[in-house]
Amino acid sequence: MSAFFAIENLGMRFGGLTAVNDFSMEVQEGSIHALIGPNGAGKSTVFNCISRFCDPQKGSIRFGGRDLLELRAHQIVAAGIGRTFQNLELLRRMTVLENVLIGQTIHVPRYLPFAPSPRRARAEAAALRDSEAILEETNLSAYRDTLAGELDFGHQKLLDLARALAGKPRLLLLDEPAAGLRNREISFVDQLLLKLAKSRGLTIMLVEHVMPLVMSVADRITVLSFGQKIAEGSPAEIRRHPKVIEAYLGSEAHA
Amino acid sequence: MYGSLRASEFVGVLAILVAGFALPFMLPEYFLYTGNMLMTYAVLAIGLDLLIGWSGQFAFAHIAFFGIGIYGTAILESRLGVPYLLSALASALIAGGAGLLIGFPAARLKTVYLALATYAFAECAQWVFRTWDPVTGGSDGLRFNPPVIFGYETGTDGAAFPVVAIILALVVTATLYLAKSKLGRHMCAIRDSEHVASASGIDVRGIKVATFAISAVFASIAGSAYTLFQSFINADVLGASQLVTVLTMVVIGGSSSIAGVLLGVVVVGFLPEILRAMPHSLLVWQEFIYGAILVAAIVFMPQGLWGLFRQRIAARPRRHDRSARESPAVRPVPETSP
Amino acid sequence: MILQATLSGIVMGCVYALIALSLVIIYKSTDVVNFAAGEFVMIAGYLGLLLLDHFGLNYPLMVVLTVTLMFAFGALFERTALNKIVGFKYAAEAALVPMVVATIGLSFMLKGAVRVIPSTEEVLRLPPLFSGPPVFFANIVLQRQDIGIVIVAVLVMIALTLGFNFTAIGKALRATSQNPRAAALIGIPVKRMRMMAWGLASGLAGISGILLSPKLLMTPDMGNVVMLGIAASIVGGFTSLVGCVIGGIVLGVVQNLIGIFVSPQAIAVTPFFIIMLVLVMRPNGLFGEAMRLKKV
Repeated sequence: MSAFFAIENLGMRFGGLTAVNDFSMEVQEGSIHALIGPNGAGKSTVFNCISRFCDPQKGSIRFGGRDLLELRAHQIVAAGIGRTFQNLELLRRMTVLENVLIGQTIHVPRYLPFAPSPRRARAEAAALRDSEAILEETNLSAYRDTLAGELDFGHQKLLDLARALAGKPRLLLLDEPAAGLRNREISFVDQLLLKLAKSRGLTIMLVEHVMPLVMSVADRITVLSFGQKIAEGSPAEIRRHPKVIEAYLGSEAHA
Repeated sequence: MYGSLRASEFVGVLAILVAGFALPFMLPEYFLYTGNMLMTYAVLAIGLDLLIGWSGQFAFAHIAFFGIGIYGTAILESRLGVPYLLSALASALIAGGAGLLIGFPAARLKTVYLALATYAFAECAQWVFRTWDPVTGGSDGLRFNPPVIFGYETGTDGAAFPVVAIILALVVTATLYLAKSKLGRHMCAIRDSEHVASASGIDVRGIKVATFAISAVFASIAGSAYTLFQSFINADVLGASQLVTVLTMVVIGGSSSIAGVLLGVVVVGFLPEILRAMPHSLLVWQEFIYGAILVAAIVFMPQGLWGLFRQRIAARPRRHDRSARESPAVRPVPETSP
Repeated sequence: MILQATLSGIVMGCVYALIALSLVIIYKSTDVVNFAAGEFVMIAGYLGLLLLDHFGLNYPLMVVLTVTLMFAFGALFERTALNKIVGFKYAAEAALVPMVVATIGLSFMLKGAVRVIPSTEEVLRLPPLFSGPPVFFANIVLQRQDIGIVIVAVLVMIALTLGFNFTAIGKALRATSQNPRAAALIGIPVKRMRMMAWGLASGLAGISGILLSPKLLMTPDMGNVVMLGIAASIVGGFTSLVGCVIGGIVLGVVQNLIGIFVSPQAIAVTPFFIIMLVLVMRPNGLFGEAMRLKKV
């Protein structure tokens, strides 16, 4: 049986710079799989290849029986993959509710833009209900009509996640969900991820620098350094792995 | 937001129609001419705002599509005897097609490159209008007859006024519905973040091209409206300064809001009248004043007059923390490099 | 005749290249295309004439003063208008549209202001930097001013290249344009650098104005020459200084050849056609670096 999600021999160069070199990994269904590595190791590039913002020169990314590299960026969410962004990409001049509605795009049927109709009204009402349910789940209901750009940092991160969830993905890519959060907020994210994984049957891929979070939620960890995989295993194995200590913790220690 | 028209929006559209039918009996011909011009500018500005304010595409080809609307309607109607409405429809289709045609390559271009490519397209179009003598009359311009719509002759400003008002009302209504539709919201999503949009399943390039085409159709409709109360067109009025006028209207009124754009059209549209009425006739300074207003508006009121007005009404936060809230200060890693 | 046309194309191309350099310096350091660059060229011409005729300055002093004033003017505009826009009213990327629109507004202000001055209604002419009888080579005629233009342009280009690569300010400017945040972190005064870039670019536009005004008819609408600068920089890729120079020369030559082989009427539309063609076929120009992917 083929894997739930598999990257095979991925290679990505930007001009003369090799960002990812011959990288392979597999993700088990229902697991939380962390991707870690020092800055510039190529983690974000891997994510950008999966969500098709980058065109890798080599390799394949298999999910749900197809190669994602044959799809365009906007078809990825329909294939069942959602993502959040490291640098807080939000629809800043739209309300919180509208952000989540945009996340739902693929589940709302298309109607003529200039024409009202009862069927369209029903479909849109249903979309509104779904979005409000997601806001409820992520504790954002109180900010329903606030502009996303006016939220505080913690709530913006949460909104990013809520928007990604609205696409009802099977695999969720989280790009540094805890970056910039305080300890108390990190443990909230921690709980939320575990809860989501369980209640929605989500598989999660996680890029993260906050080690306590990675160690507590991840079932499996892959370590990248200079675009290459240097280790893979359970959190306990990774913690002891000599190459990881050398490449990763060594450089992090004085960063 | 999804839903149908709000009461205030409905009243607004109704007011345009009532004014359209009542004013010709109340105002002298000259004011009606100004009114016709302003309503035509309004249609143009709403279309430009769809591109710049809604979908965040920095495109400058608008006046070229306006030209297609004018020449298309005038030539079909006056020379070939096609009924007015059919001529207008055909011109809108031609403009929409041209919009699609340049939309495809343009959608690949980012920001300033897009602005330059579309600006260049507009200049090329003006050159074609000016030099294609057998069709457009070349630099001598083109004279055309007042259109007749179902037996109703529109030769004078008073006769054209209600028809232009109906056109404006239709365009405003369509735009209001667009604002509430999926497509309308997708445009705004693209403006705010292309990455979020495409990761949410929005075909960014498709929406951009669609916006281009819709905006071109609106511009062409404005051109058809122009032929109702004018009888002559020369390529010289289809230049960059016309674009700046429309752009000033959008920026001063407040982009991505229909009310704001309409307000901008009225304010900027009456500017020449105000300057003329000044003691020393400041009309010679018109160009300078346009530019100065444009710069000042951008620096001091980025949300435009309508934004200021709404702020006053809502009387929500005070001014200094308003600007603080809009700054990306909370972003940990603001993007600065291209 | 073709050779003559090519040579005069190269001369005009050198001036276009200077305008293109002015645009690219601003673009590289602030992401803005300065639509008012043509008006900068125009007012530099008028300013030069004013200093010569009205204040009776001698030519070299006029050049120095004009370029200095243009430098100050550009820096001032950056400081008073653009800096405010970047500063606090918009999110980072969204600031671009208002900034470019502000330069369009500025171009109208300058044009409008010059038009109001009564004496600009008649066509004026700035005396050339280098005068004297033309030089003959076989059957080719070269004006002294044209030779001068090429020499000055080449000197400016060399100075710019050296300045950018070997002086502290040049290096700081380059760092600011590549990564403003990192530049700020290592102590480069980014705001002052942006001002500097605008000043430098405006000074360049001033030099172009002094070189160009004797060759063109001086009118308030002379600023349209900006499209030639834009076309030159687009051919060159908009980010490469060397590209600009080659782009300018290519454009100058192509324009002259089109005048001969197609029709003189088509000269006006050539730059626009080239802009469209290059952007559609090869958006990075002939020499530009590939557009970098925005980091997400």
